[in-house]
Amino acid sequence: MLAVAACGAFALRKRLNLVGPFALIAIAAAFVLVLLSPLDTAGTILDLQLRSSGLGRLASGVILATLFLLVLDVWLDEPAYNFFPTALAVGATSLGVLVLTAPLAIFGLLVLGLLVPVGSFTFQVHRNRSVEAATRHFGFVALGGCLGIASLALAASLPHDQPANTFVLLVVVLVVAFALLLAAIPFHTHAALLAGEVPPAALALYFGVLVPTTFIAFVEILTLSGLLPAIVQVVKVQDLLHGIGLTSAVGGAFLASGAPDQRRLVVYSVISNLGAALVGIATLSGPGIIGALASVIVTGASASGQLLAAGTLERRSAPERPTARKAPLAALAFVVGGFAMIGAPPLLGFPGRFFMELIAYQFAPLTGAALVFATLLLIVGQLRAVLALFGSGVERWTLEPRPVAGIIGSVIFVALLIGGIQPDGFLRPIASFADEFLRALRPL
Amino acid sequence: MIALGIVALATLAANGSRQLRYSAVALLGVSLAANAMTAGQLTVTQLAVEGCGALVACGILYVAARDRTYGEDPGWRLWLATIVAAAATAACFATLRTASSETVSVPLIGEDPSGVTAQVAAFWLISSGVAILVTAQTPVRGSLGAILMITGVELLVRLLTVPQLGLSLLLGWVEVVIALAGGFLIVNERVVREN
Repeated sequence: MLAVAACGAFALRKRLNLVGPFALIAIAAAFVLVLLSPLDTAGTILDLQLRSSGLGRLASGVILATLFLLVLDVWLDEPAYNFFPTALAVGATSLGVLVLTAPLAIFGLLVLGLLVPVGSFTFQVHRNRSVEAATRHFGFVALGGCLGIASLALAASLPHDQPANTFVLLVVVLVVAFALLLAAIPFHTHAALLAGEVPPAALALYFGVLVPTTFIAFVEILTLSGLLPAIVQVVKVQDLLHGIGLTSAVGGAFLASGAPDQRRLVVYSVISNLGAALVGIATLSGPGIIGALASVIVTGASASGQLLAAGTLERRSAPERPTARKAPLAALAFVVGGFAMIGAPPLLGFPGRFFMELIAYQFAPLTGAALVFATLLLIVGQLRAVLALFGSGVERWTLEPRPVAGIIGSVIFVALLIGGIQPDGFLRPIASFADEFLRALRPL
Repeated sequence: MIALGIVALATLAANGSRQLRYSAVALLGVSLAANAMTAGQLTVTQLAVEGCGALVACGILYVAARDRTYGEDPGWRLWLATIVAAAATAACFATLRTASSETVSVPLIGEDPSGVTAQVAAFWLISSGVAILVTAQTPVRGSLGAILMITGVELLVRLLTVPQLGLSLLLGWVEVVIALAGGFLIVNERVVREN
């Protein structure tokens, strides 16, 4: 339904008064259908198996809700006609990734989804480097996508008598392919350029929706491809995941702590949280997997709110530096989004981060210390942003005209607060998936 | 073997061309030869799907060029990409070959049931694509590298003993979307360059 709606939105894209509500209705209808679909139902399309899992439904719900808020913001506050069909197509591919059960098909659909936003990354091409940023993104996705699918295909056709080195090489290529797609350090150069040059809503679409989807796809592919038992036996692969995760967690946090503007702060914080989540997965333990997935889903939602708020602050304050004086509600939304990003209690980001850091300590004290250090650096970065926004004070606390980003940020904050007070409903489907992961790890 | 030779020569032609339109035509040659190589392993529907995907992708790049002179001069990158691709193909075939390790006979014309030629072609296309993409200066060679890579991936996936129709359709779409995104970037990059 979303894919058909994307085609319709493409035809209507220059009629903003029509395409905005059309996209919102399509996303709302898809959200209702996702909620109404019973759990663990299976189906087949073109000989590809589909399954509605608890994690799939939870992630689909969060992704569709985030897309709804992004489309609402673009329609009301930041008109960009390419965004509507892009958002619907991204929604369609993300939901497809979450219901497919064939690893190759999941990867193929993920690559499609990651390529779609290229159209909404480029804008005002004479005034900025958005074409260069989009070209780099295109290159990273094509490279990571093709290498990943090729390594999965080769791994699936490996004969049983293949030496362990061949297997290690293929899994290393698969992990590096995902590191390219997730913009993990040291493969983050395209993310840095995107952060500076593309519209905030498109950036939120990428870091708020597609990056969490990519992470979930990575974990699902590991589970469904049958690679996990061999990964346990070959410690090198676990070490590689661990190394990339720690580098991203600490490196991203360092970059975030010195970020020159709000957008970069958010993007580097996402990279740092993704790194911590990779460490959680690398522990190959229940709490690590639950913490990683919970943290990534919350990071996507809070990054979307923060990026929209950063965009509004930039527009209202231009040509000066963003300040809370010009858009106090958006500034407040940015700050409370930061709380979720660092995993502060009682917000929903806390349980995930707590699980990850706890299990990281159990895994290796140095790893746990590194994750705590990364969190401290993120706090420093967010505090710097608060000082930059509110340092000169706010003369009058009057709402800015069209406080769309501020309201969206508040909605996300309230949702994360309610989820944090009652985390059971959020964590249960993730725990159920963690069980599947652990069963795939030790099939006997 | 002849199809493998055509894949190699057409890849070199696409890589060495200074005009995007010639590269697009050479890419079509690569896809046709790759499809001919594995024709016996796919149904007519699957072949038609992947053939259409390749045709549309090459058509998009041809149209995106807008005139016959537009393109990117590969310069020294042509030689670098060729040498890297040749070395990587040999290394990949030595370490990652999943085709039968028994003695195989590779016919000059006709189907190769062992899949050795298809796997060599896949490794060649993927390593050429990586080398071209990594050294690309503009979206012209970026798109070229990406389409070569996805053609190689299609060949590898065809060798799997799993239901293929859904995967063929999906990979055909990936190829078209790569060409669409690449074409979009080529047009935008040209606008930036000309102003």
